[in-house]
Amino acid sequence: MDVLHGNSDDQLDALFRAYRHATAAPNPSTSFMPVLWQKIEARQNSTFSFRRMANALVTAALATSIALGLYMSLPRAKSSNPAAYSTYVEALAQANTIETPDIVAPVRLDLSEPQ
Amino acid sequence: MLVDFELIKRAQAGEGAAFNEIVLAYRKRILGTINRLIARPEDVEDVAQEVFLRLYFSLDQLRTAEVFEPWLYRLTVNAAYDYLRKQRRRQEYRMSDLSEQQMMMADAVAGGRAEQDERESKKTRESVDALLGAVSEADRILLMLKELEGLSLKELEKIYNINENALKVRLFRARQRVLKAFESVAKRKEPARAG
Repeated sequence: MDVLHGNSDDQLDALFRAYRHATAAPNPSTSFMPVLWQKIEARQNSTFSFRRMANALVTAALATSIALGLYMSLPRAKSSNPAAYSTYVEALAQANTIETPDIVAPVRLDLSEPQ
Repeated sequence: MLVDFELIKRAQAGEGAAFNEIVLAYRKRILGTINRLIARPEDVEDVAQEVFLRLYFSLDQLRTAEVFEPWLYRLTVNAAYDYLRKQRRRQEYRMSDLSEQQMMMADAVAGGRAEQDERESKKTRESVDALLGAVSEADRILLMLKELEGLSLKELEKIYNINENALKVRLFRARQRVLKAFESVAKRKEPARAG
């Protein structure tokens, strides 16, 4: 019987049946299960390492946040270093205190006639 | 179902021996399905191992026994997709190349020797793979699950999570395309045979 004669649908079904016979399930190799378990363990290890790394990063970020928070909350002593002042006005005020003679000392005017 | 739900529950609890039993029960079937889906015998075991690997790591999500097999098929189809995508080696047969293969296949089927002669089996496989090249990869896999794996529409519904009507339409269109390719090959061969 020629598969190409007759109804195309039936022929296609016959072809599929032949294909099914031609592609029987291959026998698994003896290493199938050992290799599968190796892959499972490898994936488990990589997942575990990633999780450990992620945990370490989260812990480090948390520790840094706490340290920065503490540092920011501590009262800071005024420094004589002008660079320590946040604004130019503060730095100027520090440099020219109220006791500075050139600001508070009375102006002396010499009103005598020049000779 | 080839295994009972108790076994699955034991595997879910982390019992390696139970998982082994599940793999041993389904291994042959999955190897056969993958063999048809990817058409590369040398990579079949690799893809099958990937399926069971995914099964192992997602087993705890399974809640009911009846969805186990469709779920395993879904994992199989997805692994086959991923493999094919990675390989990007879907064979683009020219229709002109088909006639000789089709002729060999026709002779093999007519003589009832397809399963006896490895060479002819190979030709049959190549012919069908070439014909299935007429449809998209997704439809090819769907068609194979229906026509070659013999899955019912109900089973396919569970695997694909789409309703029966949509499934029927997709299957009908895919089959029509394959049929058209098949007929055009047959037509071209007729004059050659007559001459």
